[in-house]
Amino acid sequence: MNKAEAENLDEWFPRGPLVPDEATKPARGETPIRLGVVVGGSLSRGLAVRMELGTPIEEMAVGRYVVIRGRDKRFFGMITDISLESSNPQIQVSPPDFSDPFMAKVYSGTATYGVLHVAPMLVIEEDGTARPVKTVPSHFTDVFAATADDVNAVFGQEDEVHFHVGSPIELEDTRVNLNLSRLVERSVGIFGKSGTGKSYLTRILISGIIEKNAAVNLIFDMHNDYGWEVINELGRRDKGLKQLFDDRVLIFTLDRESSERRNVRVDGEIRLSLREIEPEDLAMLRLTLDLSDSMVDTAYALHRHWGDEWIIKALSATPDEIEDLLERLNVHTGSLSALRRRLERFRRFPFIHSDRPDDSLNRLIAAIEAEKSVVLEFGRYGNALEAYILVANYLTRRIHDMYVEKMERSLGDRSMQPPQLLITIEEAHKFLDPQIARQTIFGTIAREMRKYNVTLLVVDQRPSAIDEEVMSQIGTRITALLDNERDIQAVLTGISGASSLREVLARLETKQQAIIMGHAVPMPVVIRPRDWGLDFYRALGYVEGEALKEKADEARRDLGGEGGPRRL
Amino acid sequence: MGEQSQPIAYVLRGSTTGFVCGTRVNRLGATAFGRFVRVTVAEGGETVLGLIYGIRIDDDPLVRQLVLAEDVPESTVNDQRVNRMVPVEISVLNVGYRDGRGLHHSLPPRPPLSLHLVFMCDDAEVIAFTRELSFFRLVLNAPDVPSEDLLAAALGVAADVRESDARMQFLIDAGRELARLLNHDPRRLENILRLIKPEEVSHE
Repeated sequence: MNKAEAENLDEWFPRGPLVPDEATKPARGETPIRLGVVVGGSLSRGLAVRMELGTPIEEMAVGRYVVIRGRDKRFFGMITDISLESSNPQIQVSPPDFSDPFMAKVYSGTATYGVLHVAPMLVIEEDGTARPVKTVPSHFTDVFAATADDVNAVFGQEDEVHFHVGSPIELEDTRVNLNLSRLVERSVGIFGKSGTGKSYLTRILISGIIEKNAAVNLIFDMHNDYGWEVINELGRRDKGLKQLFDDRVLIFTLDRESSERRNVRVDGEIRLSLREIEPEDLAMLRLTLDLSDSMVDTAYALHRHWGDEWIIKALSATPDEIEDLLERLNVHTGSLSALRRRLERFRRFPFIHSDRPDDSLNRLIAAIEAEKSVVLEFGRYGNALEAYILVANYLTRRIHDMYVEKMERSLGDRSMQPPQLLITIEEAHKFLDPQIARQTIFGTIAREMRKYNVTLLVVDQRPSAIDEEVMSQIGTRITALLDNERDIQAVLTGISGASSLREVLARLETKQQAIIMGHAVPMPVVIRPRDWGLDFYRALGYVEGEALKEKADEARRDLGGEGGPRRL
Repeated sequence: MGEQSQPIAYVLRGSTTGFVCGTRVNRLGATAFGRFVRVTVAEGGETVLGLIYGIRIDDDPLVRQLVLAEDVPESTVNDQRVNRMVPVEISVLNVGYRDGRGLHHSLPPRPPLSLHLVFMCDDAEVIAFTRELSFFRLVLNAPDVPSEDLLAAALGVAADVRESDARMQFLIDAGRELARLLNHDPRRLENILRLIKPEEVSHE
């Protein structure tokens, strides 16, 4: 390991004993449960652990942590597979009479036994420092189930950069604390098939980022999941970011009507002028609007010809003007008329107008400059993918320009550096498809990474549809259940020890479980996210009085005071 | 106790792997296939521990004649049984020894000599010796010995001398040790397990 790497690790794993001090140690002393001994394996393929006599195999689970206590070092590993073995193949051919309890007791654990496959993740040196694993423990080293103390020692305590996101499975008393400053310095991916709780995870993560001031957020809120409140699966109203952080979060909307219906306190409405849309924004919509290359070329030609008003003029052009245009610009008739038909669709959206641009966008950008997080609600237009992509692309392009300019100016004066910005996009594969990722602003941001202090938080259910180069730049991946083989493959690409995580990933629960791996965690960890409720609100500093009132209201609702939960 | 403090036989011939001792029929008493016996080789020296694997009753010329005679009176038959010309031979397999350093579950360094006294092991000795099960190897690998039946009988003895609540666990532990030793031969393993299986097993 070179010096720079060592320093980097030291920053993440503070030197000194990792064992929590007396004050933070759980009161009850946990005796580690012995699971078995290492009987073989390798660093790349993982270790084979023969299970101890009497350890019930049915109580094991992939994704759990184990601690292998070597002579001088402790190894941290994750159970990635569990198999049944027998000492002699003959037993499989003519199995003994297992219905006899005596026979069953004698055979289990001796002639037939369980083997845990364990991927070593981390090694804790004698002096307590944790390092990436580069060797394996020797034969017959004892293997124990990780205790809360073991895991706490690795994930540290919650502090100004570490945020408690959840607990490892089966270790409810333990906290997994993510290093948020590491998290936001590279792009983040939250993946999982639909209905696995991606928005929930995203909300928890963004709450932490706002609470710890790790970054300013811009959230393109497709389904109104983040801003004011959201109805959860039980029909209860969960607080959105605005309610929890008040003036640190501003809500902008594209659909004032929808926001008002939901009683959302909106801080601004976004309207987009057709004059502001550039051909590059159309290029982004190539797949969504089914634009051909020649249609995009035509758009560029029209823009050169007419300037800002190219869309307005193209839509209002008379047949004569078009005739004239075809001659002068040397564009194809079919492409032009197809392009006009596509542009016509923009008129359907009330937030797009043909007047001169107003200052709504500037207000949103000013909010970000003032280090406020912004949730942009799409209201009813969240389902219109072209609207979502158009607006997200347009806004991000403007903000990115602003950041590039500011960062360049700050080269001489570090105090001028703009705050870290994290842009959250949903349905990310529509932005980061291999066909368009190279040309669009989101591809650029993902690739440029922290150079300009702007990173992405991509939320998606089809990671395999995201450009590979972009995927490789996603530092931290938080993944709920994925069952498509290609998606699993895509998420694991570039993660060390990935092959052993495959089983873990494919066997996550459909809800309330996710695996976090990559830049922000010392080792991959399967977590059950924190509950989004009063305790969480309080931990974020939500005012107790209001929390109590909320509880009373909730109780009243549960008692039928308001005729049961209401839906939007 | 009285029975166990009386010698049951004298050593006839022996080796480090086992010995044969001779006795009278009326001294046979508690001797039986699979029971533990001990011979003190030298005062202050080793005591060899063994398992009885064979009891042999040879004929003699008088018995041969009596077999052919008719209407042998019962008193003569009994007399012949008890006052024989040749001793009853008891074959013992050495499975361990005790010396000043404690119990050892391996072959003794020296065999017992002729006319050394042979005693039955008492319950405490059996329990102490069978606390460790590594002598299985000596039994299973012994040539010309019905090793499966011998081990099963010895385990039955060792289980019986234990408290009733410890018997089951002892047999399970023994079964598991056998499963480790005989993983190359599942049929033999299953055979022994069937022999040692307790009649009633708690279904916990």
